[in-house]
Amino acid sequence: MKPTAFEYFAPRTVEEVVAALAGGDTRVLAGGQSLVLEMNYRTVRPARLVDINRVAEFTGLDAGDGVLRVRPLVRHRAFERDISAGPLGRLLSSVVHNIAHPPIRARGTMLGSLAYAHPAAEWPAVATALDAQLDLTGPDGTRTVAAEAFFAGPFDTVRRPEELLSEARLPLLPDRAGVGFVEHRRTHASFAQLAAIAALTVRDGVIDWVRLGLVNAAERPVRAHAAERALLGQPADAGTLTGAARVAGEQDADPREQPHASAGYQRHAVGVLVRRALEAAVRDAGAVGDGR
Amino acid sequence: MAQRAGGDDSEFTRRAADGGSAPSRREDARLVRGAGCFVADLLPEDCLEVVFVSSPVAHGEMGAVDVDDARRMPGVAAVWSAADLPAVPQTPPMLGITASAGRAWPALAVDRVRYVGQPVAIVLAADRYVAEDARDAVRLDISPLPVLLDPTDAAGSEVELFLGMPNVAVEKEYGDPIDPAVWRDAAVVVEGNYRQQLLAHTSMEARAILIRPEDDDGLTVWCSHQAPHRLRGDLAAALGLPEERIRVVVPDVGGAFGGKSETYPEYLAVAVAARRLGRTVRWVEDRAEALTGPPHGRGQNQRTRMAADADGRILAYELTIDADVGGYPHLGAFVPLNTSVMAAGAYQIPRVHVQTRCVVTNTAPTSPYRGAGRPEAATAIERTVDTLARRLGMDPAKLRQRNFIRPDALPYRTPTGFQYDSGDYPAALALAMRTVDYDGWRAQQAQRRRTGTGAPLGIGICSYLERSGNAWEFGSVEACPDGTYLALSGCCSTGQGHETSFPQVVASVLGVEPELIRLVEADTAIVPRGIGSYSSRSMQTGGAALHRAAGALMEQARGRAAESWAVPIEEVTYRAGTVSAGQRRVSLADLAAATGPLRADEVFEPPQAAPYGTYIAVVEVEPELGTVSVLRLVAVDDYGVVINHVIVRGQSYGSIAQGLGQALYEQVRYDPDGVPETRSLLDYLIPTLSEVPPVTLREMCTPNPNTALGAKGAGEAGCIGAPAAVINAVVDALDLDDPSAIQMPLTPFACWQARQPALAGAGR
Repeated sequence: MKPTAFEYFAPRTVEEVVAALAGGDTRVLAGGQSLVLEMNYRTVRPARLVDINRVAEFTGLDAGDGVLRVRPLVRHRAFERDISAGPLGRLLSSVVHNIAHPPIRARGTMLGSLAYAHPAAEWPAVATALDAQLDLTGPDGTRTVAAEAFFAGPFDTVRRPEELLSEARLPLLPDRAGVGFVEHRRTHASFAQLAAIAALTVRDGVIDWVRLGLVNAAERPVRAHAAERALLGQPADAGTLTGAARVAGEQDADPREQPHASAGYQRHAVGVLVRRALEAAVRDAGAVGDGR
Repeated sequence: MAQRAGGDDSEFTRRAADGGSAPSRREDARLVRGAGCFVADLLPEDCLEVVFVSSPVAHGEMGAVDVDDARRMPGVAAVWSAADLPAVPQTPPMLGITASAGRAWPALAVDRVRYVGQPVAIVLAADRYVAEDARDAVRLDISPLPVLLDPTDAAGSEVELFLGMPNVAVEKEYGDPIDPAVWRDAAVVVEGNYRQQLLAHTSMEARAILIRPEDDDGLTVWCSHQAPHRLRGDLAAALGLPEERIRVVVPDVGGAFGGKSETYPEYLAVAVAARRLGRTVRWVEDRAEALTGPPHGRGQNQRTRMAADADGRILAYELTIDADVGGYPHLGAFVPLNTSVMAAGAYQIPRVHVQTRCVVTNTAPTSPYRGAGRPEAATAIERTVDTLARRLGMDPAKLRQRNFIRPDALPYRTPTGFQYDSGDYPAALALAMRTVDYDGWRAQQAQRRRTGTGAPLGIGICSYLERSGNAWEFGSVEACPDGTYLALSGCCSTGQGHETSFPQVVASVLGVEPELIRLVEADTAIVPRGIGSYSSRSMQTGGAALHRAAGALMEQARGRAAESWAVPIEEVTYRAGTVSAGQRRVSLADLAAATGPLRADEVFEPPQAAPYGTYIAVVEVEPELGTVSVLRLVAVDDYGVVINHVIVRGQSYGSIAQGLGQALYEQVRYDPDGVPETRSLLDYLIPTLSEVPPVTLREMCTPNPNTALGAKGAGEAGCIGAPAAVINAVVDALDLDDPSAIQMPLTPFACWQARQPALAGAGR
């Protein structure tokens, strides 16, 4: 479990990072929680690592203009406490506690997780569900891709090898939005078998805005459009939630057989998790409505 | 986790503070501070690092191994396949197991490979980075052959893993065949099919060996091992060296669990390389290599059949085992013996018949894994007894009480040929039931079922019996002129705390402070003979040998004093490190200084013992997703006399965690081509602190009648008792009529699949 030889480069500017990536066969080292493991297993053998930890521009995150901007060196840990007032902070905080365990959260980054595109990772599904915008910076400048178009398959995105994921912009959620996140996994620190993300608003008892995402329910992170359609304009009652959850399992999920879960079980479990996430979101919205 | 065994831990702390019965472990001062010394910490200058080129193919015909490019890489000292060696040593058969004849496990593969990971070539380089580069540069030409992964399939297959040899390497029978009339005439007959999945040992420290060639053509070997004298003998036999030219030293060991008592092909290859190059060479296995094995543990397909009369008296029990021994029959071929002789558990069953087949397959070779055949036995009979209770409509506790071997029937010889020494099996069940509040949980369960509210709740019992210890062990105690005592043991701690507990034994006999006693073990240059630590044998056998040696030292001192004082020995008394007669009095230290070495050597071979107990688990199964939550786990164990409660309770907690691992999480998986899929701890899930439920430990004590010390084996019970308790609880919660409908690990999916209607109907 030792990596092949590689060149190591630790620049201080974005331009240098971009130039290094243009050299080819180069991987970006941020938190290294997946990359280093893969290098040790020799499943990836990059000729060069560009360590971005000294690039000042890549640090920090801020909320403004209706979005939360997350830069490449923001660690998972940053989201453990509500990063911004309001429902987005609550959602990210409830998600992050499901990611691995504290030492990994202290080093791993949200953007690293997005770029790695592990099918069981939480952040890609959050980004997809919330319609995040992702900036890819390369030799020709920066282009922006919607999260739903970014993920191409397991460990596969539309990012070109010479590009760097330089920023993610998560839309702030409506103030009165309720949020819910429910994950199913086998041990405390293992990957998710499945998870569901829900955010919604309720006006006069009717769901008038909703975002629904699924983790590990298909080869790519899923925004559950069919289930969202089944919710919009409907009363926020048990019948609606249960029906929409079933739709998510039957139509939005596209599970593959896993070692300890048949496709049928996964469709069933998606339904259960989505219903619970929706129930949590409705409760949360009610709490907001009550002026907590 | 706030409720984790809080009450019990405070009780535990109080008892520890009492002193005497539970001094804290001497070795922990270095181990918990990271100051221990493991094989990987020994890195002599100019030591070469070994990496093996291993087979990526589970079964195949070997073509040429092209090592040319690898040899040319800078920093590479040598790359050899079997073709480059004048002779390829073969792994010596273990414990005289005949299955190895004609199925030799070579140091490096010759002609054929039989599991993924089998060493094909050895790379020696300046460091592990270079060695892995060279490993990747070796080109293999292996033509794949059909792959056999299941022992029952392999037993019936026309594919021969060893040409001209049957895939069934050993076939054995225990007890007499049961008359068909018994099955025909019995009021009730139940059957079950159980799968004991393959497990990885997952010791924190994987395998490791460091070998230095010596000027006299001998070797000094440092190895993470359980049985240094056995390793010395095996290396000597395989290399054609006299034993006295080989010194084996075992430094600190980070867990073994049965996977380090063997001699592996890698060890032989490392020894050959060290001798050929005249260089110090080491191999430190990494996690990826360790998880894909060898060794693996368990791996049995079991069929059971049990007959009873209408009152629930068990009339007959039949167990048929197909055991997976992997690509080469090694110590794994011994494990079904343990399952067989323990098959009938704690019950008085007039007819017991066991048939076992050890079958070669294309998985990694198996070995004993903590419990080593006893968890397999306990799970088979305890699941079957529960099935019988369901069929009879009887409470499973009541059925057990009706069939236990009564205390006054002990010692008891089983129909499969093992003798149980002592104990009170009904009392262990009764104590476990009181401790867990069995009646309360049953009432709770009935209420949930009646009202259709709450998650499915189940209560599961496992009344286990195991056999511990085997063969002889060496122990020696010497009174040194400086006032200290030197104790030598042939055992070999792999984390069990011998440095603390063995001096306690000696001190208690001699009536001196334990701090005066220094233990040395695990060095064949200092300890003249020994076997090692496995089968829960250290205290039962090695401790008992030291106990006798300490007694013999007292006698020797009395004799020596009588001689020098010219008095009859009856007039010399021993007390607390001194002997006296009338006004004359001399310490053992002064006696040794004045008259020469005072040392007593003992080789002691007590019979095997039969520790036992009852575990009760209370579980909930999450109704929609199938997730099992263990709400309570009560363990009642009778280990005989316990020397150090801190150590024994630690053993219990650890082995319970591993038992929960088998029940709920762990499974070595192969794809259909025999390629391991569980290559990291992200795929092979083990329980950590977060997964361990509240555990309540209770001890009973029936002293071992066959040793003066009175200790029986401790250390494996949790692995034996916990899995069946949890499975029985889950089957009870799900109300499964077909006991074979669910197999370990009890994943959420497995539970959901086993009883979809019940789950779908329960809860909401």
